[in-house]
Amino acid sequence: MRRRTFTVLVLLMALIAACGDGGGADTTTAGGTETTTGDTGAATTAGGAATTMAPEEGGSLEGVELSLWGWSSSDAENAALNDLVAQFSEETGAVATFQPQAEYDVALQAALTSGDPPDVFYVDSLRLPDLADAGALAPVPDGAVSNPDDIFPSLREAFTYDGTWYCPPKDFSTLGLIYDPDVLEAAGVAVPTTWEELATAAETLTTGDAAAIAAGTAQAGLSMGVEYARWGAFMFQNGAAITNEDNTAMTLDTPEAREALEFVAGLYQDGFAVKPAAVDAGWAGEAFGQGKAAMVVEGNWLPPAMAADFPDRNFAVAELPAGPVGPGTFAFTVCYGVAADAANPEASWALVDSLTNEEGSLAWTEAFTVMPARESAAAEWTSTHPDLEAFVAGADYAHRWGFVPGFGDVLGVLNPGLEGVVDGNMTLDQVIADTTAAGEGVLEG
Amino acid sequence: MTTGSGGRVDDPAPAVPVAEAPPIVSEAAPAAAGPFKVRRGTPLKGASGLGWLFSAPAFTGLLVFVAIPIVLTAWVSLRDWSGLVSPFATEYVGFENYNELLFEDGVRRTDLAISIRNNFYYVLFVVPMQTAIAFVLAVILNNKFLKGKGFFRTSYYFPSITSSIAVTLIFLFLFQTSGAINAILPGESINWFDNANGLFHNALGVIGIEDPPVWMIENGFMGVTYWQWIAGPSVAMFAIILLVTWTSIGTFMLIFLAGLQSIPESVEEAAKVDGASTFQTFWHVTIPLMKPTIFFVVTIGLIATWQVFDQIYATNFGGPQKTTLTPAFLTYFQSFTNSEAALGAAIAMLLLLVIMFSTFLQRRFIKSTGER
Repeated sequence: MRRRTFTVLVLLMALIAACGDGGGADTTTAGGTETTTGDTGAATTAGGAATTMAPEEGGSLEGVELSLWGWSSSDAENAALNDLVAQFSEETGAVATFQPQAEYDVALQAALTSGDPPDVFYVDSLRLPDLADAGALAPVPDGAVSNPDDIFPSLREAFTYDGTWYCPPKDFSTLGLIYDPDVLEAAGVAVPTTWEELATAAETLTTGDAAAIAAGTAQAGLSMGVEYARWGAFMFQNGAAITNEDNTAMTLDTPEAREALEFVAGLYQDGFAVKPAAVDAGWAGEAFGQGKAAMVVEGNWLPPAMAADFPDRNFAVAELPAGPVGPGTFAFTVCYGVAADAANPEASWALVDSLTNEEGSLAWTEAFTVMPARESAAAEWTSTHPDLEAFVAGADYAHRWGFVPGFGDVLGVLNPGLEGVVDGNMTLDQVIADTTAAGEGVLEG
Repeated sequence: MTTGSGGRVDDPAPAVPVAEAPPIVSEAAPAAAGPFKVRRGTPLKGASGLGWLFSAPAFTGLLVFVAIPIVLTAWVSLRDWSGLVSPFATEYVGFENYNELLFEDGVRRTDLAISIRNNFYYVLFVVPMQTAIAFVLAVILNNKFLKGKGFFRTSYYFPSITSSIAVTLIFLFLFQTSGAINAILPGESINWFDNANGLFHNALGVIGIEDPPVWMIENGFMGVTYWQWIAGPSVAMFAIILLVTWTSIGTFMLIFLAGLQSIPESVEEAAKVDGASTFQTFWHVTIPLMKPTIFFVVTIGLIATWQVFDQIYATNFGGPQKTTLTPAFLTYFQSFTNSEAALGAAIAMLLLLVIMFSTFLQRRFIKSTGER
């Protein structure tokens, strides 16, 4: 008898252990979708709408469940997007929910691989070629996006791959020159508009070496990350770029590109520009906030970061100085992509359109510092953000931030190489040669 | 003494291992000979089934979370898979991914070579340092005249139970340009985590060799010049080496302590009676008796150090200038950032081979030192 009790106990324990394992497996694979649906659904949509119902009637969106995935920038942005999505649900009767993901790329990849992707998801312009090439994205159907010609051409271009337009932009940011007006005025320096003025201003505003700047006893004229996402803007200003317009050939090994890189590298080598890490800052915005730099090259994400971490810091935004050939900057943008396997494409595109049409894009950007991707909304946005006008001006001459699948390898050669140039253990010639070789491998392959 | 039983050596007397052996054999032999014999009428009836039952949860876990993923990784590494579609809808490409990583001149081979170089130096520093320091600490703590043992044990173990990300952030602050380490050390202040200079290069610079011989820059292996191969860990990697050593010694100290406490006092007393000095007792009695534990610690250390990821992710994503890039991080980068998941899988398989090979070498080494 005792023996049997023991066996039963053991069996029970084994069962419990096995269930524990099974439960664990469930939450790791499906948890991302299931649990968050429940949570956000309850929080955002009105109580009645949360009850599940089967999709019915081809044309109506009544009861159609839609999931929108993205990453979380700030609580305020999450709340604003939740409101817009809730409004769409209310108007159409669909049950759409915004589900921010923590490790976005990994989560999205797992969802795509398992064949159960979210209906609509954020796509960064850098990531678009990979996703389009893999066939994960549905192209924009005719008429699904209202008045497409109103969208800034450079932004539509950013989401066009192999001649196919995949998704309308959610918003965008450009790079500008952010400076401390008080410091510039005190030093008698005008806001630089050319390379020469930038070099002189950086020199005048620099008051010590990196160690002193890190310790907070001196200030650098300029702080800027050592990467193509910043230095590239200076190449555009000299009529150069890393690849040609349609990303079929490397164009880094040109006199124009070399001249631009030499100019920027020279600022660091002379000590007038510092990389953020050298002065104990995580990024240039932090260096600026801490008063370690008088000028930085950053984008629309800087004002909210200042408001959150350095609310007392005074700053102003100007367009990037123009180079010998003209102005140039980057446009960083994210779009709402619809999965190629979306369960209900019609409803998905309806959601995307409601978020990106004139009304939707203005409603989304009004409260924030990112800019609407539509020209018709730009004027109104500028009137509510007069201090950030320089960022909008950049839209006219901005270059897209996106290449071809596998280009991460090439930037993986260029960026560390540029660091080497700044640190003095590599030559620009070597970097240009290495990057060109790497790029040719990727562009051919 | 015989090695290879794998069990903890509780008593050095030769009689004991022999006495221990029979039950192990008698249990294993019938099962190997045929389960039917055991089932019918022997006193072991049901024992084998119960054994399977007991191990079923752990076995299921191993199968689902270890064995199947390894097989799938190997399978996926032979396909052209971006990681953005179902792997079952992809094309078989044979050893193309491996070929690209090992034989084709290009970024991917260079990246792999750099990551292996970085990780090799990391292992070379971390494993001996953490093993030696942990052993010394354990010996000190094992001293029966030491007061406040509990306090020391807790404080040495504390870094091991602290979140690795939290510890990494603290180290970032300590080693930054205006950080505490620079304040203590003389000389120019640098941000350690942002310095790509190799330690061996720096050392050569100190003794006056600034410029490498030409053949070392003009020739190389797997796309990395010989001069770069002998660079040693970068200053940034060295900061990570210090960080990891500091966090891991606690765990290994605890394992050593358990091993030391299983050595009966009588053995050491016998050695003393025979006239051995303290050092002789330590060298000729304690260390040989601790060999299974040392083997265990070094093996675990080797495997863990070849897989370093958290600290790399939390500091610089492989920078500055790729000098903290490791195969584990490269796998992550290729799989989740560069949409080359099959390539990432191939790197993971190569890393598995590297780990198996280094563990094998280490086994051979420890065995041969035992047969002196």
